[in-house]
Amino acid sequence: MKKYLYLSLLTFSSLIADTELDEIKQQLKEQQEATQQLETKLSNLEQKSTNRSASFSQNAYLPDMALILNMSALSRDVKNSDYENFAIPGFIDAGDGNLPFNKNRGFNLNYAEFAIHSVVDPYFEAFANFHLHPDEFEIGEAYVQTTSLPYSLRVRAGKFKSHFGRINSQHQHSWNFDSQPIIYKSLFGPDAISDPGIQLQWIAPTDTYIMAGVEALQGTNGRSFGDIESNNLYVGYVKSSVDIGDDLSILGGVSLAHGENTTSNPTDVYGVDLTLREQLGSYSSLVWQSEYLYRNKELDSTTDKQAGLYSELVYQYNNNYSGGVRYDLITKNDTDLSAYNGVDSDNLDRYTAMIEYKPFPMSRLRLSYAYDRTKIIAGERTDINEVMLSLNIAAGAHGAHNY
Amino acid sequence: MRKIILLTCLLSSLAFASLNVNTTYSTMGAVAEKIGGDLVNVTVLGSPKYDPHFIVPKPSLLAKLRRADLLIINGGGLELGWLPPLIRSANNAKIQNGAKGFLDMSHFVHMIDVPSSVSRGFGDVHAQGNPHYSSDPYVIPVMAKAIEKKLAELDPENSVVYKGNLDKFLTEWSSYLKTFDAKMATCKDKKVVQYHELFNYFLKRYDYKSFGNVEPLPGISPSSKHTIELINTMKKNGVKKILQDVYHEKKTAKFIAEKTDAKVSVIPHDTKAVKDADTLKNFYNTIAQRICQ
Repeated sequence: MKKYLYLSLLTFSSLIADTELDEIKQQLKEQQEATQQLETKLSNLEQKSTNRSASFSQNAYLPDMALILNMSALSRDVKNSDYENFAIPGFIDAGDGNLPFNKNRGFNLNYAEFAIHSVVDPYFEAFANFHLHPDEFEIGEAYVQTTSLPYSLRVRAGKFKSHFGRINSQHQHSWNFDSQPIIYKSLFGPDAISDPGIQLQWIAPTDTYIMAGVEALQGTNGRSFGDIESNNLYVGYVKSSVDIGDDLSILGGVSLAHGENTTSNPTDVYGVDLTLREQLGSYSSLVWQSEYLYRNKELDSTTDKQAGLYSELVYQYNNNYSGGVRYDLITKNDTDLSAYNGVDSDNLDRYTAMIEYKPFPMSRLRLSYAYDRTKIIAGERTDINEVMLSLNIAAGAHGAHNY
Repeated sequence: MRKIILLTCLLSSLAFASLNVNTTYSTMGAVAEKIGGDLVNVTVLGSPKYDPHFIVPKPSLLAKLRRADLLIINGGGLELGWLPPLIRSANNAKIQNGAKGFLDMSHFVHMIDVPSSVSRGFGDVHAQGNPHYSSDPYVIPVMAKAIEKKLAELDPENSVVYKGNLDKFLTEWSSYLKTFDAKMATCKDKKVVQYHELFNYFLKRYDYKSFGNVEPLPGISPSSKHTIELINTMKKNGVKKILQDVYHEKKTAKFIAEKTDAKVSVIPHDTKAVKDADTLKNFYNTIAQRICQ
């Protein structure tokens, strides 16, 4: 009996030993598999974190680039050949006017603009707008500005649009109406004050926004300045803004441009601007923007004193639709008007209305109507009716616009 | 005597010399106040009643940015449409991108919904992922730690205070999260649609399933075709909840609710976006209450 017992015990123990061995073998196998998996994972990760970019690649430093397209379909009750020789009495003589935008009845491709912005280094940012008309290349703006000066100072150098007034520094594609205000067109022409030069701006350390700026510019604008013997234009301005509650903001400014005109006599232009913006919701607002400009232009024997204003009201209904009206008026025209004898040159004004549809913030369709009473066409005071559908596209990396 | 008073005034003004902290949105502002305490002056630039993508770049904001020692942004492209021109015109070297006083919070958050390809043809898609992470209460400690580190870097003399504030806040917040999670566990209906993908972080955290958006593409206004499709999806899947935000039009959501027998809930996207969400905790309490009810 005892023998049997021993025998069975022996077989049993050997059985146990066998299963234990199998178990250990199994465990070892699992461990090996796990190690293998970890190794593969590790080498994958190593491969990922290894720098495999092209040795001299600079793709990460590409500047922001955008294509801005502006075009229109237009109907006007004046023939193209007559319209291009328009005059605004006292300001622009027949044939002297420059019409870069929306000139023709029918279709116009106004421009394709290539806009570039990039941080240069920890101290500078650079901007450029290459303005391409159908048969002209123009450096619209190209400048650098500082990012890290002390005392709230900022310097800009290059060719840029002056911060004189409100609309002067803004690009045509960001205006609320396609056409330039009459007073700007009359005093400065389509490019307004845009020159090579240098700008210094300072923000006061106050709770209220107060900004002061001075600019020294070449003064190439022949309508008001244009003395070619040396740089001749100096611009100064103060702008301030207050909020009333959360939703109403008011921005106002006074500006002065002092330069020398083509007769080597001084020209002074004074500007006052006021913008009120009431926010009615995230996508809805009411904006009332007005500017008044006064020019004192000395000539060899006389002094021209001229002034005008525009006032516009734009209602943004939602993120897709907005509409607006604008009134333009020449308020003062003390100058030699003898060339317009027998032609009524008083009460120069213009009415404009527009409706805008933006399917997305980067594209805009705008239908506008203008009743223009500022022009002499073929020697006759002519009231012009104009209906225009314009399309503006900003494709690519185009930065947000200023207020 | 006068000298002493003057001296005390001077000293106390030094002792309370505070950092001007600007944040783009109010939830980050509320966290910065918790960590900075009396040592910081927090200014929130974007009003929480408006769409965070489209804050109006009012010139008055320049006066604030001009004096900021620290600018904390949400990042992920949310401020792309309004902040860069302000930074450029504020003439403040301290808060330029890359400077010590510039803090991009999205660099600390694990971003979700990162698109594999990006085109404006897909609407207003953010290449970096969904930037609306503030809806997740678990992001708050991440923000708090990042802000504490930054404040200590800018104002090392007071680093002990910031650390103390952080520790206290983290303890408080983790016990808050426990009760919050317990509350969320009682919510049964986990099917929703949203107007814009504003609440994805919250929905993911608490296992909600979003069946679509009222807007056909991010940043594009609703279309009738898309609305009908959404109504059908909701009917098919039994979705009874529409998450509406405070700033979009509410007509479309109401219309959809009528057709599907669903309920429209206005969910705050940021602290102070609705009256009940006046504090950090109440912000999340309001989300929870309005999503659950």
